[in-house]
Amino acid sequence: MIEFKNVVKTYKNGTVALNGVNLHIDDGEFVFLVGQSGAGKTTIMKLLLREEKVTSGKIIVDGTDLSRLSSFRVPYYRRKLGVVFQDFRLFPKKTVYENVAFVMHAVGVPSKKIHKRVPALLKTVDLGDKASCKPDELSGGEQQRVALARALSNNPNIIIADEPTGNIDPKMSLEIMNLLVKINKLGKTVLVVTHEKSLVDYYQQRVITIDHGLVSEDRVGGMFE
Amino acid sequence: MKHYKPTYFVGQAFAGIWRNGVMSFASIAVLMSCLVVLGSFALLVVNINANLDDLGLMNDIMVFLDYDMEEDAIVNVERQIKSIPGIGDVERITADEGMHSLMDKAGDNGSLYEPYLEDNPLSDSFRITYVDGSKLIDIEYNLNQIEGVRKINDQRDLALKVQSLKNGVMLIFSWFLIVLFIVSIFVIINTVKLSVYSRKTEIIIMRYVGATGLFISLPFIIEGAIIGLISSVIAYIVEYFLYGYIQSSLVNLAGIVRILPMSEVAPLVLIGFIGVGVVTGIIGSTISLSKYTRE
Repeated sequence: MIEFKNVVKTYKNGTVALNGVNLHIDDGEFVFLVGQSGAGKTTIMKLLLREEKVTSGKIIVDGTDLSRLSSFRVPYYRRKLGVVFQDFRLFPKKTVYENVAFVMHAVGVPSKKIHKRVPALLKTVDLGDKASCKPDELSGGEQQRVALARALSNNPNIIIADEPTGNIDPKMSLEIMNLLVKINKLGKTVLVVTHEKSLVDYYQQRVITIDHGLVSEDRVGGMFE
Repeated sequence: MKHYKPTYFVGQAFAGIWRNGVMSFASIAVLMSCLVVLGSFALLVVNINANLDDLGLMNDIMVFLDYDMEEDAIVNVERQIKSIPGIGDVERITADEGMHSLMDKAGDNGSLYEPYLEDNPLSDSFRITYVDGSKLIDIEYNLNQIEGVRKINDQRDLALKVQSLKNGVMLIFSWFLIVLFIVSIFVIINTVKLSVYSRKTEIIIMRYVGATGLFISLPFIIEGAIIGLISSVIAYIVEYFLYGYIQSSLVNLAGIVRILPMSEVAPLVLIGFIGVGVVTGIIGSTISLSKYTRE
């Protein structure tokens, strides 16, 4: 569950990015977060990842109150999230397998478990046969699938995808979105930040629109207005 | 941290050093130079201390008599010296013995003194050992009262001069230490910063997936420590040969100045270098990391 209660975020330079955002996302929901550039989407992402702290208000993610979360606990909180970026952010010198295994290693998962889990994850994203490839040997869509497998590696409850189809062609975009839907059906909460109207309209999921730091619209089965 | 392999951190640290070869080399060179200077000062202080101890142990006073004194008068002076409280051994050194002693100390150049054997400009003297240093002023006062005593030399003046030299060296040493420490840390900060920068994406990903600050930092801290360790070992080798060279150059002063053998000071130098080197490396890495590993 993700809950924003009257969240205000003002940056040090005085920019008011969020001006009293209230939203509630239940476990297992699939949500598109849309809005124009500068509307406040990125700030919401940063707050969810606890890169930034709220100026006022409250954010609760999976029972964790982010406004009260100490710096020491932040890494443990982030293990509850799986993050996918527009630019994939894969390690270019590591293989597909190593890219996924590395993040599990980084959070202290035992090697035995890593060896067992990585092939299963790659199979989930249909990359079982590409384990030994380097990212530059893959298409954009395949690279994003590796990023998805990596996001799932620590078995998070929530997947946050920041413009996941921004760097790939329309056909691949559908593949990625289908995968996100598949992941959602496995019981994960999926939050997709995007400005691609066609995708939002096609999938007919819940759409939260951010405008000038406020939730301007929140519709289930909505369209990108 | 129980599932983390130490080899991963050490491997990453070496990879970082290799990746930023030029800066790593610069860091090692600067830190090594700083350690050699530091070690040289430390060895100078240690040797001064050893010589000060020697001076303290000698407890010697040289009493020079008037020129051309009769034998009876000299014997009389000796008797009076021995009667002063606090005096230990009294050894007479004739003018001839004094000249021969000078010739011996001059070594190869001793022949230069030969013309003076015929017409010796030295006087007879006594080497006196005192048993209680606290009575030195009284002893010297009593010696000065004896007729026939021309001059008194004790080692206290020399000891005070060496002590003040040591204090001066210590003062310069302290300032050098501070400046060199800052320079070394600054260079290591920049080296590790380069390493951190080249792995920026990796660090960002690690942060997002929930890697702890320690997991992210450890390879860089080890990298700093390895730079410190390599610098220490090279500095030790340089210091070893430098000290040996200085020791052989000062062989002519044997008997006047005592240079401690390297075997005696080597463990101190090695432990000191490794300690300072590794700590400097770790401090440098930690400072350069603070910005990148902030949650």
